Amino acid sequence: MPQYMLLLHSDPANWQNLSPEEMQKATEKYMAWSKKPFTRDGKRLADDAGRVIRSDHGKPRTTDGPYSETKEILGGYYTIEAASYDEAVKLSLDHPHLEVGGTIEVRQVWGS
Amino acid sequence: MTASSETGALLEHLFRHQAGRMVAHLTRLLGPGNLSLAEETVQEAMLRALQTWPYQGLPENPAAWLFRVAHNVAIDAVRHNQVLGEKTDAIVAELARAAIVEPNHPDVEEQLRDDELRMIFMCCHPEISRDASVALSLKTVGGFSVREIARAFLADAATIAQRLVRARRQIREQHFTLDMPGGGELKQRLDSVLEVIYFMFNEGYASHEGEELIRQDLCMEALRLGGLVASSSIAEPRVDALVALMALQAARLPARVDHAGDLVLLEDQDRGRWDAQLTGLGFYHFDRSMAGDAVSEYHVQAAIAATHARASVTASRDWPLILHLYDQLLAINPSPVVALNRAVAVAKVYGPAKALKAIAPLENDPKLRDYYLLLAVRGHLLLELGRRNDAAVSFRAALACPCSEPERRFLRRKLESCELLTTE
Repeated sequence: MPQYMLLLHSDPANWQNLSPEEMQKATEKYMAWSKKPFTRDGKRLADDAGRVIRSDHGKPRTTDGPYSETKEILGGYYTIEAASYDEAVKLSLDHPHLEVGGTIEVRQVWGS
Repeated sequence: MTASSETGALLEHLFRHQAGRMVAHLTRLLGPGNLSLAEETVQEAMLRALQTWPYQGLPENPAAWLFRVAHNVAIDAVRHNQVLGEKTDAIVAELARAAIVEPNHPDVEEQLRDDELRMIFMCCHPEISRDASVALSLKTVGGFSVREIARAFLADAATIAQRLVRARRQIREQHFTLDMPGGGELKQRLDSVLEVIYFMFNEGYASHEGEELIRQDLCMEALRLGGLVASSSIAEPRVDALVALMALQAARLPARVDHAGDLVLLEDQDRGRWDAQLTGLGFYHFDRSMAGDAVSEYHVQAAIAATHARASVTASRDWPLILHLYDQLLAINPSPVVALNRAVAVAKVYGPAKALKAIAPLENDPKLRDYYLLLAVRGHLLLELGRRNDAAVSFRAALACPCSEPERRFLRRKLESCELLTTE
């Protein structure tokens, strides 16, 4: 079965005004989703912009990035199994991340 | 991994309750002047849980995880913004020590309860307005957000936020402390704490328009805070009376609306839907409230609620006793709303004509102008006397007053029954 990566982008400012109760509800929804039978793996990434290393005329140059100009960060990823892109998207439509203004990027793992 | 980690479900209100006690605890360590810092720190800790648990799974002990992370966030914040000046190192050391304790350990729980208690007592400082005290208690020890408080009070979020800003400024500028007041001042402060808790409860209990769920949460939080005070060393019998009153009334919440969302009057309620656990809690505190001789308003109110709760069926309710209790209550608190409630008991004991006489003076009370319940009671009494046209006039007037949608539907049903009977 092909594997797909779901890259969860979000603007941390979206979370700032949530109440403890709302944060608990969101946490429970996320956790319930990550227990679905088609999810294989998931990791949280540190909540900073990260680093990007580019080749600058043959010399590596490191910057904060990749999106230092936007507030969105890549917060974490899941790996899921799906028959096709269409199915992968369909399975992700009810992800709670979308309810809180987040973005999900779906990419197929090559060769899977 | 615990069983709950299978479904991702956490203990109900875990975040809200942990937020309350962590804010109280961190405020003690950071000082009341840094209340906002304590609140922001706790918010950040929960945010990190939200960002982490969905990927890494539920930690073994979620409360301890939140507790540890909140302390670490506080340490970073204290080091970073240097608000504590030369005290920084000492407070960082204390935070680091507190970060690794087990919040579920009985000794620590006792300390945390004490922190919460001191926090409520500070929130109810007489210099802070009552509305602000309620909002501040809900925000800090209650773990409610500004938007939730605004929703429960049908207020604008900006208004609530303003109240909180002002109260925090008062705490900072007037150097309020978390020390319990001494001597006679303690009794006064306890009075205002109980008043704030009861006000919180009534706001939740009143069937205003608004979201039912958040209003019930308000009732349960008032009950929790009342229980916290009742189990402390400064408790007096009237604290138990207040907790009894709130628990017995809250027990009826599930029966107060039917499946269609319509209001059900106390006497028509399906008692099987009353919350037996809350009724039990109510009677437990009611018994405890009997210690000592002092009779407070809470005692009498609790006695009325207990009389309703004790009756196994509506018919066996002891109305003469309830009327007697209302007479006592009216002597302690001669308010028109109490007088109106008393009139309902008068009707049960002496009939609707006597009750109509009892409410006549209330009809000129400016406090009850636009109060739908007075007109609804009047309509009800007139209907019992067979004066359908007059009753219809009262119900129509009641419908013109501000009231919630379930109340409106209730009044319309009443009005229809008058008209139906008239045309027959």
